[in-house]
Amino acid sequence: MKNRLKLLRVERGWTQEQLGQALGVSRQAVNALETEKHDPSLDLAYRIAVLFARPVEEIFDNPHA
Amino acid sequence: MLSLAKSNTTAAGRKYVVRTMAFMGGYTAVNVAAIFGAFDEIIGKPVAWALALAVAAPVAGQIWATLSLMRESDEYVRAVVAKQFIIAAGLAMALATAWGFGESYAGAYHVPAWMIYPLFWACFGLIAPFVRGSSR
Repeated sequence: MKNRLKLLRVERGWTQEQLGQALGVSRQAVNALETEKHDPSLDLAYRIAVLFARPVEEIFDNPHA
Repeated sequence: MLSLAKSNTTAAGRKYVVRTMAFMGGYTAVNVAAIFGAFDEIIGKPVAWALALAVAAPVAGQIWATLSLMRESDEYVRAVVAKQFIIAAGLAMALATAWGFGESYAGAYHVPAWMIYPLFWACFGLIAPFVRGSSR
C-alpha cells in the first residue's frame, strides 16, 4: 500500500528503529511498511495516524477511493 | 526462519533462536547417535517406540517455538512467518507425495517417512529469502 511513512519519519529525524519503538513494532515491520511489503492492520494504521497526528488517509493512500 | 529471527532484535526473536538451538540440538543428537549405531540393539523391540517418540518430541517443540514467536511478535513478523511456513510445508508435502507415488508406481527407492522434517526445513531455507513481504 502506497504511503508517506518514510517521508514523515525522516521529517522528524527518526530512524526505523525509533519509529518501531514508538509504535510497538519491530524495525523490520517499519521497513516493510515503508517499502510496501506489508499492508498494516487497521489497528496499526490508526496507531501511526495518532503518532503523526494526521488522518490515516493522509499517510496511506486509499486503494479503493 | 532463523535468519528472520536472528535479524529481529526483539525479545521474541532472541527467545526463538535459543529455543530453536535447543530443539534442533536434541533432534540432531538423537539422529547422529542413530547414524552411528547407538540404537542398533533395540531394533525390532518395543522399546524402539520410546526412541521414535524421543526424536519426535523436538519436532513438536519446534512447532511450539514457532507458534510462540508468532504470538510474541508484531503483525508483520507473524504474517511473514506464517506465509513462509505454509509455503515450505506445502512444498515438502507435495515433494513427499510425488516421491511416495514414485515409490509405488515408478520404482523410486524407498525414503523413510522421517525425512519429511529435514525436507521441510530444506524447503524453508530455500523459500525464506524470497518470501519477505506479507501482502503479496
